[in-house]
This record gives sequence, structure tokens and C-alpha cells, in this order.
Amino acid sequence: MIVLEEVTKEFPGAERPAVGGLSMEIPTGEIVMLVGPSGCGKTTTLRMINRLTEPTSGAILLDGVDVTKQDPVEVRRGIGYVIQRVGLFPHRTIAQNIATVPDLLGWDDSKVTDRVQELTGLVELDPEMLDRYPHELSGGQRQRVGVARALAADPPVLLMDEPFGAVDPIVRGRLQDELRALQERLHKTIVFVTHDIDEAIRLGDRVAVLNVGGVLEQYCPPEELLAAPANAFVEDFLGGERGLKRLSLRTVGELELETVTTAQVGSSGAAAKERMRAQGLDWITVVDDDRLVGWLEAGDIGDRVPDEARRFAAHTTVDTSLRQALDSVISSRTGVAVVVDGEERLVGMIAADQLAEQLTR
Amino acid sequence: MRTRVFAAPDDLVNWEWVGRNLDTIAERTWQHVYLTVIAVAVGFVVAFALSLWILSNPRVGKPVTQLSAIAYTIPSLAIFALLVPVTGLSTLTAEIGLVMYTLLVLVRNTVAGLEGVPDEVLDAGAGMGYEDRRLLWRVRLPLAMPVIIAGIRIATVSTVGLVTITAVIGQGGLGWFILRGLNTVANRSTFVLVGVVLSVLLAVVFDLGIQRFGRYFTPWARKVA
Repeated sequence: MIVLEEVTKEFPGAERPAVGGLSMEIPTGEIVMLVGPSGCGKTTTLRMINRLTEPTSGAILLDGVDVTKQDPVEVRRGIGYVIQRVGLFPHRTIAQNIATVPDLLGWDDSKVTDRVQELTGLVELDPEMLDRYPHELSGGQRQRVGVARALAADPPVLLMDEPFGAVDPIVRGRLQDELRALQERLHKTIVFVTHDIDEAIRLGDRVAVLNVGGVLEQYCPPEELLAAPANAFVEDFLGGERGLKRLSLRTVGELELETVTTAQVGSSGAAAKERMRAQGLDWITVVDDDRLVGWLEAGDIGDRVPDEARRFAAHTTVDTSLRQALDSVISSRTGVAVVVDGEERLVGMIAADQLAEQLTR
Repeated sequence: MRTRVFAAPDDLVNWEWVGRNLDTIAERTWQHVYLTVIAVAVGFVVAFALSLWILSNPRVGKPVTQLSAIAYTIPSLAIFALLVPVTGLSTLTAEIGLVMYTLLVLVRNTVAGLEGVPDEVLDAGAGMGYEDRRLLWRVRLPLAMPVIIAGIRIATVSTVGLVTITAVIGQGGLGWFILRGLNTVANRSTFVLVGVVLSVLLAVVFDLGIQRFGRYFTPWARKVA
């Protein structure tokens, strides 16, 4: 756990402190996002944790030990550090870059080599890159190397300063997914600075919204932040589409799905039409055993339910976010989205009012 | 003597003289080489120390470069004239002058090289747990090498030229031939050409050699656009 106690940083000549008396706790094994407008002191706060910036006053406890009273070099070797422009060493190969901290710590060569191999796999880097120099890699690859380098000595804490800010949106999305996946396995304590509220919501277990001067406006899980912004500043910073952002945090699998009226391929057409009448439906979902085939209108059905049916426009699975599910619902003719599991088996359906209900909870 | 003065001009190069004096030529060439190498080596050590001082204390940057710029504008003959009463017609006198002239280029390039290392690289290095000193030697200096080496090349080439001037204080390396050519009539063009051609050749050899050396030690810089 990282505890900030009344941490203040005043830069000489500045009118007011960059960070004024900030206190917060960062629980072990969680990703905490520091987000806010420029000048809110988020980067300064991050840099005080590994003492690249010296706090003017206050204490920063890392597992109970005040880092401000320890040798800064030792502190830094025990904390992973990733920055926006990556800062790989241009004169060293990728393998040498990844091995930076183990080398500083004096590990054996063979142990270092093994660790570099392991990390290459972990961050999904092509092993062919290891002998290249940083300028030969793309932005996304360089940032992967940056993450691997930060993880090299297996530090319990990772500080990330807008690490994905300089890559294009598609690569950024992929790197964000990879970081979440990595965190599932590694359970690091991660402090992550960003100015992008969507990134904060997407990645954070908790989000700290900072205002100018390092004022902590709200600090809570993203769901809560979106549901109940503490004040006008937070509300403003969250921006529009808060409902949609909340929906993006949850998946279809978390909902209790409605059952679907179905017709088996090859079963009686009359019975299927009867069910439709009884339910007041003008269409029916066709399945083959429990596998989804599509949907049919009454006019499509003869004596038997045919094995060819109209395809559903959108594919909704249990892993789909509610935001995407909403998109499927409102763009489908039937006003609902049927949900399948990983093996294309029908598990239920979802309607617009169910999604709306999620937001009122 | 009269007959000589009014004799027909010598051949452009008196090869027979060259053949008889290969020893002297080799000796003077060697002197030229070591005067140059010592001047650039000492100049670099001084310039490097000055550069570190400037880096840790940016306020001294301007005065130091201004001083070396002033030193650079003093005519070299004047420098030697001023030094001879103190240090005599010695190698030391020659070197003091030569070193002075290397400083401007070497300090400028060394500071530019060290300051040109991207901030994020230094920030990442510090954040990984490099001590200041290790960061300088293992990250900052290697990355500054291409610019520093460019400075050493310029300083070396200009020093090769300047060494010839030190002939006036009895040093001079290949400059000795040039000076002799100016003071005699017989074989004048031979003397001047031997001095000029060999010192130009030396400059080219030094320049290419240092460039090669630099490339060998900065493999990472080769493909940088």
C-alpha cells in the first residue's frame, strides 16, 4: 500500500503549490488513476513517489516505510517507471534496455537473459526485436519495451506517467487491454497518470480526480464516479455521455438475461406460429438444438421451421460491454439483442429497458 | 651564391632531394603527428572538464565559451610571440597555443552533445535508479559521442594546419619545410610542396580515421535518419 500524508510540493518562484497537502491511500494490487486537467499536479504527485521530485513537506509511505527518508536511488530501483515518451536508451539494444534495472542490481548474466526472455513473452514482443535498437521499432513496440523494462526486476509498484499518450488511438486501445490482462496476472500496485478520463475509467480500479494545485476532488471506483460525481468540477471533467460510459464498464454477462421464445429447426411450423401469437411477437428466434441460427417472421415459416433464417444484425456475447449491447439493441429491427456464449449457444436476450434500468441502480 | 639566385627555376619537386632526405621528412611528419595528437588530447580533457562544469552550473556557460572565442580570435603568431619569453622556443609553448585554439570547438560540441541527450532518456534513467555519475558515463556521454566526435574532427583538422605555424618557434612538424621554403631559393617549391602536401594528407587521414573510430563505437547511430 502507498500512503500519501499531507504531501505538498512548492516549486520555487511559483505563486501557489503544485500539490498542496494531498492525502490518499493506494491499495496494494490495484490500478489507481490520477486524472485531471493540466496543472493539477498529477505528474508531480507521481514523481514524488519515486522521488524524482522532492516533496516540500509530508510523508509518502511505501508499505509503511517513508520513502522521503530513504536513499532515492534504492527507492527507484524498487519501483517500475514508465513515461509517455518511453525514454528507451537509444544506444542500447532492446534486450539491454529491458535488462537495465537487473544490470544495476548486479544480477548474473544468465538470470538476466532468462528474465529478458520471460518479459518479451509477457508483453507480447517479437523476440526478433531484442537485438535491434529503439529507433528501429514502432511507437507501440517501444512502449511495450518500456513496460517490460519497468517490470524487469519484478517491482511491486509501477508508476506510469501517460504511458499511452503518444501512440495512435488503435494501438492505445490495444495497449490498454494488454495492461489490464497483464495486471490480472501480476497484481502490481499501479499508479497511472492520465489526462484522458476515458482511459481512467477504462483502466482504473479507482480513479482520483485532481483539481489545480493537487486538490483531490473525488477518489472512488469508476462506476461510483460516473454514478455520483461529487461536485460540479468532477461532473464537468467527466464530460457528456456519462450513462454510456457507465454502460461501457459492465458486460452483458453481468445481467440477468430474458428468456427467448425459440423455434427448433425442423419442428412444426404451426406450433411456432402459435407461440408467436401467444407472446404477441411478429418474429421468432430459430435455434438448432441450443445453437443460434437466426430469426424468422410468420410468413417465412411453412409446415416446418426451415434451417435457414435471417441473421441477427449484431453479434452480442456475454463479454460484450453494455454500451455495445445498447448499440446492438437500438440498431436492430427487433428492438432486442440476442446473446450467445463463446460457442454460439443462445443464452438469452437483452432489451433497451433492461439497460436503462442498470443506470438507475 | 649569385649564380644560384639567378639560376633557372628548379623543377617543381626535386625528387632527388626528397630521396636523400626521407629521414628528415619522416621525422618532421612524426613531430607533426604528436604535436597534433597532444594538442587535441589535452584540449579535449580540458574541454570536457569545462563542459561538465558548464553543465552543472549553467551560468558559467556563456563566460567560458566567450573566453574561448576570444582566445580563438587572437592571431596565432601573437600567442607564440607572447609565450616565448615565458616558456621559450619549446614544445610546451607550441602546445599551449595549439590547445587554446582547440577549446572553442571542443567545448561547444561537448556541451551541445551532452545537452542534446533527450530529457525523457535522462528522466527514465534517473527513474530506473541510475546514480548521477553513472547516468553521465553510461547514458549521457555515449549518447553525446556523435556530436563530440564531430567536434574532435574539426579541432584535429584545424590543429594540423596550425601546427605548421609553430615552425616560427622552432617546432612546426611539416611546417618546418614550408618555412624553409620561404627562406631559401634553392628547392623552394620542393620544400613548400612537401610541407603542404603532407600536412593536407595528414589532415585527411586524421579526419577519416576519427570518423571511422566514431562509427565503430556508435553502432546505434548508424541508421538514425
